[in-house]
Amino acid sequence: MNDVLIIGSGLGGLECGALLARRGLRVLILEGSQQPGGCMQSFRRAGLDYDTGLHYVGGLAPGQAMHKAFAELGLLDLPWQRMDEDFDHVIIAGRHFTFRQGYEAFAEGLAKDFPHQREALQSYVQRLQHITASDMDVSAYDYLRQTFSDELLLNVVSAAAMKTELRRESLPLFNFAHTCSSYIESSWRLQGDGNLLVGKLIGTIREAGGEVLTGRRVVRLSETDGRITSAVCANGETYEAGHFISDIHPATLCSLLEGCPSVRKSFRRRMETAENTCGMFTAQFSIKPGALRYFAHNVFVYDKPNVWTMTEENDPVKGVMISARAPEDGSDSLRQIDLLTPMPWHECEAWADTRVGRRGDEYKAFCREKAAQCLTLAEQYIPGLRDMVEQCYTSSPLTYRDYLGSPEGSAFGMRKDCRAAMLTFHSVSTPLANLLLTGGSIILPGIEGVTMTAFETCSKITK
Amino acid sequence: MTREEIIAEINAELAEEFEIDEATITPDAPIYQTLELDSLSLVDLIGIVQTKYGVLISKAELPTIKTFAQLYDYIEQHQK
Repeated sequence: MNDVLIIGSGLGGLECGALLARRGLRVLILEGSQQPGGCMQSFRRAGLDYDTGLHYVGGLAPGQAMHKAFAELGLLDLPWQRMDEDFDHVIIAGRHFTFRQGYEAFAEGLAKDFPHQREALQSYVQRLQHITASDMDVSAYDYLRQTFSDELLLNVVSAAAMKTELRRESLPLFNFAHTCSSYIESSWRLQGDGNLLVGKLIGTIREAGGEVLTGRRVVRLSETDGRITSAVCANGETYEAGHFISDIHPATLCSLLEGCPSVRKSFRRRMETAENTCGMFTAQFSIKPGALRYFAHNVFVYDKPNVWTMTEENDPVKGVMISARAPEDGSDSLRQIDLLTPMPWHECEAWADTRVGRRGDEYKAFCREKAAQCLTLAEQYIPGLRDMVEQCYTSSPLTYRDYLGSPEGSAFGMRKDCRAAMLTFHSVSTPLANLLLTGGSIILPGIEGVTMTAFETCSKITK
Repeated sequence: MTREEIIAEINAELAEEFEIDEATITPDAPIYQTLELDSLSLVDLIGIVQTKYGVLISKAELPTIKTFAQLYDYIEQHQK
């Protein structure tokens, strides 16, 4: 029998699997779709690999936020490439700013553009380095308002936080800071696609005698005396284990727990009625060979300083992240570029009843128009970009919903709310003694958040 | 909402959500034992009160709510 059965092979599920396998436990991961990896998976078109959710990672240098965790997971061996010293560029209403790696350098760099806010910037980077769980109750937007009197600077320091859902009324400082701070420590790109990371974690699990099975959609969990005893798949197969970890959306998990007497309605309702964060629209382009030099930084372009309200006013597109794919052959010719922008569910809800590849011409036209709007903004940084592109592949929240099972195509999982932190930051424990939660909905989203959560989840088994 | 209306509504809701006999809910009954609350399901109780009445029980005040009567008092005093 397996020691641990994990439902879902997103980053959280694979990290839990690798951590537990390294501690000598026999792990089985059941993945519903045909490809493992969740948001870390990549897809191949016309000879090029495109990532779905992996763009850059922060804090991998020794002593920094993610170094120890990635070392323990065996992920530091991958070909990480340190990004430019000016790792993020921000363009707002035509003005150009840069974020420099290192807290002091970050503050000093921006102080050149905002000399009257030098002290505020120093206070800001100090605060980022001293974030605690009590900051789950603190509003990120209110904190920034109190810290920066210059409205433009408030927008600039928030501009690269497109990696989370910027929402004035609810986003906790805890989330905002974790979205920003490790990248300021140091920023890294993988020289290759996300499947490298997925393959590495699966390799660790298999080396320890574990297994990752795809095409195994779990449809029911069975309980005996307050413990889950087995998982039943849609194909009729049943798997037993001592511990179970869910790396699927908690609301979806609740549907597997129908008939479990230990799970009361109150728990189900809290999970099923929780709000989800917005999704993302991504336009991924292949670039004509030799047309554009690779750049090892991200660029965030905004039409105007409305970074905190843009998600709800983003039609037409008013802000975009430009992410360049590190060439695997070491050349300086850029072959792939991603443009990302937040997209609330209501923008694509009209096609909610459709599935991948069968959404119709209106949807295709909608995606083409969005991609064109993203290109227009990106051309503020790369003039003539639209003439350099060969192919364009788009994905919307519908794509994420259908491939990853993320309700409403949510990109960052269940929403956290500083006004109700107790209700929106979740425990990894459940009413069932041997069923634990992991993934981006539980505590923090993103690579750092999911990794932190995986360690917390595993600590409940290995303590 | 009057206190009587709050009592009738929240008792029915808690009995339904925590799957217990409503008759066991009396004003002086200990809330933790009656609802069989642990640290996890305590969050569910807070969620129900917030969803139903828009009243968020703060961490600081949570320890002061030990009986159902104290829960009714809290909702009555804080409802909008």
